Amino acid sequence: MLATLDRRALLRAALVFLIAAVGITAVLTMGGAAEAATAETEAVTTTASSGGTNLLIQNLFNGIVFGLLLALASVGLSLIYGTTGLSNFAHGEMVTFGAMITYFLATPQEVSFPLLPFSFSVNWPFWLAAPVGIAIATGFGWIQDKIIWSQLRRRRVAMVQQMIVSIGLSLALVNFIQWWMGGRPVRLVTSIDPRNQYGPISVGNVTLISMAIAIAAILGVAFFLQRTRLGRATRAVSDNPALASASGIKVNSIIRIVWMMAAGLAALGGILLALYQQGIGFDDGTKLLMMMFAAVTLGGLGHPYGALVGSLIIGIVAEVSTVWLPPDLKFATALGILIIVLLVRPQGILGKPERVG
Amino acid sequence: MTDKPVILNADNLIAGYLPGINILNGCSMEVKEGELIGIIGPNGAGKSTFLKALFGLVPVRDGSVTLGGEDITNLRADELVKRGVGFVPQTNNVFPSLTIEENLEMGAYQASKNFKKQLKRIGDLFPVLIERKNQRAGSLSGGERQMVAMARALMMDPHVLLLDEPSAGLSPARQDETFVRTREINKTGVTVIMVEQNARRCLQICDRGYVLDQGTSAYTATGQELLKDPKVIELYLGTLGA
Repeated sequence: MLATLDRRALLRAALVFLIAAVGITAVLTMGGAAEAATAETEAVTTTASSGGTNLLIQNLFNGIVFGLLLALASVGLSLIYGTTGLSNFAHGEMVTFGAMITYFLATPQEVSFPLLPFSFSVNWPFWLAAPVGIAIATGFGWIQDKIIWSQLRRRRVAMVQQMIVSIGLSLALVNFIQWWMGGRPVRLVTSIDPRNQYGPISVGNVTLISMAIAIAAILGVAFFLQRTRLGRATRAVSDNPALASASGIKVNSIIRIVWMMAAGLAALGGILLALYQQGIGFDDGTKLLMMMFAAVTLGGLGHPYGALVGSLIIGIVAEVSTVWLPPDLKFATALGILIIVLLVRPQGILGKPERVG
Repeated sequence: MTDKPVILNADNLIAGYLPGINILNGCSMEVKEGELIGIIGPNGAGKSTFLKALFGLVPVRDGSVTLGGEDITNLRADELVKRGVGFVPQTNNVFPSLTIEENLEMGAYQASKNFKKQLKRIGDLFPVLIERKNQRAGSLSGGERQMVAMARALMMDPHVLLLDEPSAGLSPARQDETFVRTREINKTGVTVIMVEQNARRCLQICDRGYVLDQGTSAYTATGQELLKDPKVIELYLGTLGA
């Protein structure tokens, strides 16, 4: 069933990757000539090639890693958009929140609750702190929907107004996190992850494990949506909430579950991101938000697998572009790709134009 | 028909979408078990609103709806499905990104243990849906969607089926098919309440018709009587004979 359902979508995704691969190879050959000419790039290549690392393949790999982490964060954003129609601007903070809670539980340093005079050190091992952090974030998703979003839906508050509430919540949360955890990036684990060389790629074990966890989580979401009754009901709510309700599906319970899942996945993404970039600042999630929106739009708004495809493309484009362009421009390049793709496919890569009537 | 018990009763419903503006100004209806009821009336009479008010999709401000003697006014849709009421909306009546089979599964969401059995039963009524069960509903034509929508609503084996303009937007041949099918479903013992623009065709198959005007149920009679009623002919059927 899965195969027949998404064969065309997969084909499209494969086509996009093929074009990207051809493009990258073409630019690589040109880039090879340019490298010899500019001293700056030469310096980069010498440092990179010193360990037998191919800069392009390494960046491609980094792009996939970043894309997978971005996907974890943006799948939830996409599911929330799909089921409720809300563009949740506070989703970036859910990423930071998960990582910060984990830091709070795992760090050997003294931590405290805001406004409370006593400080203490929880100092749990990381393998315990991370799942508990995700569980707390999931609970936060539940609370958010319980006290804010379900109330707004019940009162039939329009989407633009709800979106502005989410912007307000985003500002409140990012400032709260800064107040609580301080303005400096924190590290979830202090040990240094040694890098291993696999052919042209240099990568640490932690990153490899993170990738495996991210892939497993994404496959888990796909399995949930495709093969479980609750997941199919989630897609039904995403398609047509009024009809879902008329079919006897408790739409608000489904949306509650989606909020919890979204918060949990964002927290997992945040924790893995903090490991990957060796630390997380109070506004890292906020900075990531634009990339998440770009990924979700690129893949096809509300399409659950669209978030994955969009994230991988954004991640790869952002990282690979640093081979030739200044790193400061990497997100701009990714957003440039978004514009080009939307000009060709306005509904996004996996988005399907619905027939009318 | 008269000796059958009343299954659904709407008493003086007042309802509307916007605050302060009532679409229904006292609609009443009494439906006996096994009846096929047609609701007709001019555009804007509140036909669809009436149906939605029965199903709790439009808030009822005054009056009451009872099902088998039990008050169901303003109950949530999923509660009504549990009590055996099915509803087929006029538009957006399928889940476009789900396959036909998944659409039907959603219809039986509250009784998933019976899904296989029900699928077989519905398959006898709509064999074409089973042949194409892995096709996405979004790729179907209007008539095919109508079929999926009706099949979905029947998956819970409802006692009462509410149909909102099932023939809207269909070709004449498809319209006929829809009316015949509705009659067939009714013959299996399902009480059907349908809202229709196609008043003549609707009254031909109905046991009883309700004529709605300006948010009130103006009068009721058997389908045949309404077809011959000079006022109905003038207002809703035009002057052409059947």
